[in-house]
Amino acid sequence: MISLFDPVILMDILLIAISGTLICAAVHFIPVGGAPAAMAQATGIGTGTVELAAGSGLVGLITASYMYAKEPTITMGLVLAAGAMGSMIMLASTMLAGGLVYSFGVGVPFASAQVKRDPITGGRQDTYVSKGTQGQGIPTVCFVSGVIGAALGGIGGALIYYVLMGIYSPLITSSAAAVAGVFTMGVFYVNSVIPSYGVGGTIEGFHDPKFRRVLPKDVATSFVVSLICGLVAVLIAGGMV
Amino acid sequence: MSEVKEVPPNTLVLFGIIGGLIGIYLSPYFPTFGALGALCAVIWGAEAVRRVAKYGLGTGVPSIGQIALGMGIVAAMFGLSIVRDMTFAGPIVALATASVIGFIIGWFAQNVIKMKIPVMIRCMTEIAAAGSLVIIGFSAAVAGNFEFGNLIKMVFDNGVMLVVFWFGAMAILHPFNACLGPDEKQKRLLFLAGSTGSAMMAVIGIAAVMTLGRSGAVTLLLGIILWLIFYKKFWDEVYKDAAAVVGTGLIPKTEA
Repeated sequence: MISLFDPVILMDILLIAISGTLICAAVHFIPVGGAPAAMAQATGIGTGTVELAAGSGLVGLITASYMYAKEPTITMGLVLAAGAMGSMIMLASTMLAGGLVYSFGVGVPFASAQVKRDPITGGRQDTYVSKGTQGQGIPTVCFVSGVIGAALGGIGGALIYYVLMGIYSPLITSSAAAVAGVFTMGVFYVNSVIPSYGVGGTIEGFHDPKFRRVLPKDVATSFVVSLICGLVAVLIAGGMV
Repeated sequence: MSEVKEVPPNTLVLFGIIGGLIGIYLSPYFPTFGALGALCAVIWGAEAVRRVAKYGLGTGVPSIGQIALGMGIVAAMFGLSIVRDMTFAGPIVALATASVIGFIIGWFAQNVIKMKIPVMIRCMTEIAAAGSLVIIGFSAAVAGNFEFGNLIKMVFDNGVMLVVFWFGAMAILHPFNACLGPDEKQKRLLFLAGSTGSAMMAVIGIAAVMTLGRSGAVTLLLGIILWLIFYKKFWDEVYKDAAAVVGTGLIPKTEA
């Protein structure tokens, strides 16, 4: 029987809460443009917040679980790094492919409507923003921000998986990966939808003024919800004995 | 235009919960009932999505279907495993847990994120509860019962859970996502929800043929039949609501 007051278990619950919060924070970094961006009328990738966060995060989950399956005795850091790497590659390739379509297919100059100069390259932005639009394409700062976000999301997903595998594998040896994976997916979706309500459809990345405005509220919500998920995850193990 | 009579939300809540639970509790005797129970929950969930997504979420309707099944899967796993030997209590515990998680997320969305949608808390609770019933019902249809140890072997290990998760999310989110607009009507949406739910039932039937054999074939056949019936009903509603249905022909080769 698993005791809830065992310090190790308490730590596990806290780690799940932190990873949920990381996923929530990650979503704010990813340049999501939604439907307007699909018509090149807003900066970012032309799809929804949840799709991008979950898409990159689930690839991170696959790479992390692959690392864990190959080397079950591996340190936590390497599993998290594998998760981050998978997510970053996934999102970077999405943005690269999106960028190719925006530049050579749609034919728009990449420009951010939220800042006057790109904080990374220093290039002027406002003169390139077409009238009546919210910027176009994926400028450098958005790309960098997206890669940071994907890394955070991948770390978050990998951390939940790692913690759950630690709890479940002594109880249900061979099925632990499936159960932990599905549970991680559930927590991932909850935590990627919550911030998407906060940002309300579009965000450019860490340079967007919206970022500072909505991040605290979303992170607080996500922390509480993930804490409950962590508690639930541990109690599930209680029923497996 | 005369006011269209709609099915009140409370009736649908009762329909979803009672229909869903009866189906799930009958599933150990005949697994197809689990899928029928889940079909009731899909119709209820799709209508709950309609009520909340009408306000405009700013992120698209799909997000709410995904959060529904996200909350549902967490609650379903918890409810079914925590009861240990008292298997019969599992679905009710899962339903209650899902409602609590849904209520908390709804409360935060309303009061912390400040989404200003009056029905947010109620609908989030309903959607989470419907999500958990969808998961349990379809899983039971594949596994033959809803005992957690059995589910791990029959639904989790072989990856059918992912189909249940994704198709379940699609079944709940698609009806409103497809019907939304100025002339959206509840009746049309309910028929479409029935059709997505039974399409899912057919897919689950394929998985059940793999795990259970003969009784899976019943789920598959019944799913296809219900799908055709509901889709025809939806089709008829579309024709009835449309001002006129005309063929436009192909796009002309040269522009005028």
